[in-house]
Amino acid sequence: MPTLTYLQAISSALRDELRADERVLLMGEDIGVFGGAFKVTDGFVEEFGTDRVMDTPLAESGIIGTAVGAAVVGMRPVCEMQFSDFISCGFDQLVNVAGKMHYRQGLAVPITVRLPSGGGFSGGPFHSQNPEAWFMHSPGIKVVAPSTAEDAKGLLHAAIHDPNPVCYMEHKHLYRRVKGEVPSGVFETPFKARVAQPGSDLVVIAYGAMVPVALEAVSDGLDGASVEVLDLRSLVPLDEEAILDSVERCSKVVILDEANATCAAGAQVAALIAEKGFESLDGPVVRVATPDVPIPFSPPLEAAVLPGVDRVREACRELLAY
Amino acid sequence: MSSSPTDVLVDVTMPQMGVSVAEGTVVAWRVEPGDRIEAEATICDISTDKIDTEVPSPATGVVTEILVPIGETVDVGTVMARIAVGGDGGSPPQPLDGGTAGAPTTETKSSSSAPVAAARNGDRRYSPVVQRIAAEHGIDLGQVPGTGRGGRVRKQDVLAFVETDEPPLHIESPYRPEPVAPPPAPVADGGELSRMRRQIGEHMKRSLDTTATCTTWIEVDMSRVEAARGRLGVTALAFVARACIDAIREHPAVNAWLEGETYTRHTDVNLGIAVSLGEDGLIVPVVPRAHELSVEGLAARIRDIARRARARQLTPDDVHGGTFTITNPGQYGSIMATPIINLPQVAILDFEAVIKRAVVVTDADGNDSIAIRPMTILGLSWDHRALDGAVAAQFLATVKRQLESVA
Amino acid sequence: MATHMAEPAADAAAEYLTAEDRIWLLRAMLLMRGLEERAMSLYRQGRVPGSFYDGYGQEAVSAGAAFAMGPEDRLCILHRDLAAHLIRGVTPSRILSQYMGRAAGITHGRDGNVHFGDRNLGCVGMVSMLPDMMLVATGMAMAFKLRGERRCAMTWFGDGSTSRGDFHEAMNWAGVQKLPVIFVLENNQYAYSTPVDKQYAVDPVERAAAYGFVGVTVDGNDVEAMFEAARAARERALSGDGPTLIEAVTMRMHGHAAHDDMKYVPKEQVEEWRKRDPIERQEALLRSLGVDIDELRASVKALIDAAAEEALAGPMPDPATAVDGVFCEGEAEPLGDGQAPWSGFH
Repeated sequence: MPTLTYLQAISSALRDELRADERVLLMGEDIGVFGGAFKVTDGFVEEFGTDRVMDTPLAESGIIGTAVGAAVVGMRPVCEMQFSDFISCGFDQLVNVAGKMHYRQGLAVPITVRLPSGGGFSGGPFHSQNPEAWFMHSPGIKVVAPSTAEDAKGLLHAAIHDPNPVCYMEHKHLYRRVKGEVPSGVFETPFKARVAQPGSDLVVIAYGAMVPVALEAVSDGLDGASVEVLDLRSLVPLDEEAILDSVERCSKVVILDEANATCAAGAQVAALIAEKGFESLDGPVVRVATPDVPIPFSPPLEAAVLPGVDRVREACRELLAY
Repeated sequence: MSSSPTDVLVDVTMPQMGVSVAEGTVVAWRVEPGDRIEAEATICDISTDKIDTEVPSPATGVVTEILVPIGETVDVGTVMARIAVGGDGGSPPQPLDGGTAGAPTTETKSSSSAPVAAARNGDRRYSPVVQRIAAEHGIDLGQVPGTGRGGRVRKQDVLAFVETDEPPLHIESPYRPEPVAPPPAPVADGGELSRMRRQIGEHMKRSLDTTATCTTWIEVDMSRVEAARGRLGVTALAFVARACIDAIREHPAVNAWLEGETYTRHTDVNLGIAVSLGEDGLIVPVVPRAHELSVEGLAARIRDIARRARARQLTPDDVHGGTFTITNPGQYGSIMATPIINLPQVAILDFEAVIKRAVVVTDADGNDSIAIRPMTILGLSWDHRALDGAVAAQFLATVKRQLESVA
Repeated sequence: MATHMAEPAADAAAEYLTAEDRIWLLRAMLLMRGLEERAMSLYRQGRVPGSFYDGYGQEAVSAGAAFAMGPEDRLCILHRDLAAHLIRGVTPSRILSQYMGRAAGITHGRDGNVHFGDRNLGCVGMVSMLPDMMLVATGMAMAFKLRGERRCAMTWFGDGSTSRGDFHEAMNWAGVQKLPVIFVLENNQYAYSTPVDKQYAVDPVERAAAYGFVGVTVDGNDVEAMFEAARAARERALSGDGPTLIEAVTMRMHGHAAHDDMKYVPKEQVEEWRKRDPIERQEALLRSLGVDIDELRASVKALIDAAAEEALAGPMPDPATAVDGVFCEGEAEPLGDGQAPWSGFH
């Protein structure tokens, strides 16, 4: 089994889909001739041509809207927003046209929207966002967020096969930092959580780039405590069963969000636990998240707001001792 | 605090309480090794042929070892314990803190260096999972030492408490990995209650003190059950269990827990079956998810847990989570009883002997005659805080209907 | 008004329309108007929840343009274009059920009034954010071109909606990729209460040139001229010559919705346009060809009466189904083909 980086795994999924299904169409700014801002589609035009690896005009609303049109006449468009931040320009088409179409008209919209997300590289406020919560809140849109190379491929295959609009949150910080064994060919990762590391005294619930942060924070054993790390992988649908199972066994929960704290995905997880996991709790549900600020540019400022290993470790220690 | 090499060790010996007394039995120790004790303070209680009395400490110092356990009878003069008397003039003795056998008479917040384990704060709070585990094991949380922030009881603390050699309650398995201490030799003609008997008694007493227990009875014609059980080769208890499960579906209020003010109705039926352990008392292992089992399935499970109970092979999981209990002591011919509810459940069914009686039967045309039928009286003890008599009666009526229409 | 290119109406159309076709066009408009009048009446009786919109006086814009569309073409239909739905094959009783929020409506009560599109007949239901559907139509056309199919997409949108960004994105995308899409701009002079001179500084048809393709101004109340403009645009699209912007000049004769009394419209303007009523004009044309208009009207009325009776008898949707169908659980089915009554397709 080859070892790929997270980014290579995404490329692999796109390539395998283009080969396997003639309906698949990639659309985005600078993805064709240039190979993509992050080189995800480097070399694709040579194999698949400019029709299937389409350099679109600079028009996010246009990308999503035309993708909807292509999808309802039988194609499988995979749109890229160059940075997840720019989805705000296409918000209306995604939320109101794509998201609501099946409920209203019984018409399925099988589009995938790739959203390179997250900070940690001095990208500043408009290149570092994690907008998944906006789309968790919009009925009719699924949201997934891989943290490993294998899941990056498997979830993307599953997203493209899904007959519904799927937001695929690929985290830029993980592109080259995360490597792993990735099966070849087309395979699907289910839209469910996975236990990244089992434990019994406390569970850290995270997704995307926060999963490696969590694993590192608990790697030195936290004074002998047995800490579980649950990788959500799918935000819509949210794996309630896995979350409540971890809570039942561990009774103490720390939830991580790199997104801004208010109404982030973790807030929904916390509400779920408070309502359905109450009887299992041995302490308050603790959240560690980026405060409600635009992500700053200068490195010390950015590091101060994004949740790092130390903040996570301290939150775990304090809750373990409660 | 341990003794230093310069300490002198003082023996505490069994006194002679009367010229003809040759031996005595230790009834209670007031100290543990490591405790400090003042001269003249009571170090233990003994019982002899003539008299029961306290034994004062011969010295001020630190108890280093206790050589005669509670309940053991030794000759007069036998060394029962040793005290290390320090040569350094000593720091002022620390007051014994919670070391007395009885419960404290006051509940005060101590700001001294009193050990956290002894805190009996009146406003202690327990998290949902801690309360649940305590209820399942019948643990008094006031007894559990807390190692969490501010001395709170953590989940690990209550779980650790469950696993210590604190005496088990009757709903817990008596199984322990180490050999259990032998029962005390009787003193004079009387005997002491075994630990298990004491704990069963405490649980029963607590149930009666807490619940508003009422009992309702109903007569059931068991002819169809007798016919069916012969065919299937199972006990009548399995049919009664199945009938109760079916009746619970119609009257879910009896399949519930009442803990304080919290009433929880359960959809699953985890059926407790009381198993007698002879002299050793009583235990109630649980058939989990009994509602998924047929009559034959229930019979097999009941056989299995009873066998394991008597062989002392039950695990803590086997006695957890019961939502409704059946007790079936009918093999000696008794016909009715007033069972005690198994906390925190709200009801318990008693199934006594099946006895042939002359009963009035009415045929399809409305004509009465006398027939001989195997009859039994089912008793349901129920908690009036959670249920009313009407519900209890309806439940029994449904059980009766189920049993009298067995195919 | 300035024009980029004007198509002469009657002559060009006659070449492509049989007598049956011309009757079809009138019937479609009569059915649209009759249904909308009946729906308005039901609305005033409290039987139509929410808002009610109609295309009174603009029937030719949708009837004429939709008539030129083939079974495999795809349509994004807007709220004053009911005739397009009727031409594609949606039955009148389902339309009335839809307005009344009944279970038998095209959206089964999920969306209201004209926010529907029968996916089995190749129509995409509109959203309220306008002109979002221009991009969807553009996308459909993009797929047709990528796959080398001889099909086109058509979408309608109003004068007001051209002020929003999606107008630009769609026009630009369609122009730069030279897509087989037909943009029908229904210039009915008002966006709610906002007249066109508060909406744009140029003649809207001229913008087509800015995006690199043909713009055509048409008398929106001449159903056969509308047909001809759409037919020509379709041919242009299918030959690979890209998009067409058809500015259909018409007038919104009722308020923005049933709750709007349109006091802001000068009475003279309304009067002027009443003389150009599209149905009266087509009726005059057909009467001169010997068609029994009264019989036609009577048959349309009977159709509507039957439709209303059927729709009124239908149940409301089951509340238990309110949370169903947010996601597609099976396979994604593409749009199906619609009906295409024009003789040119038979």
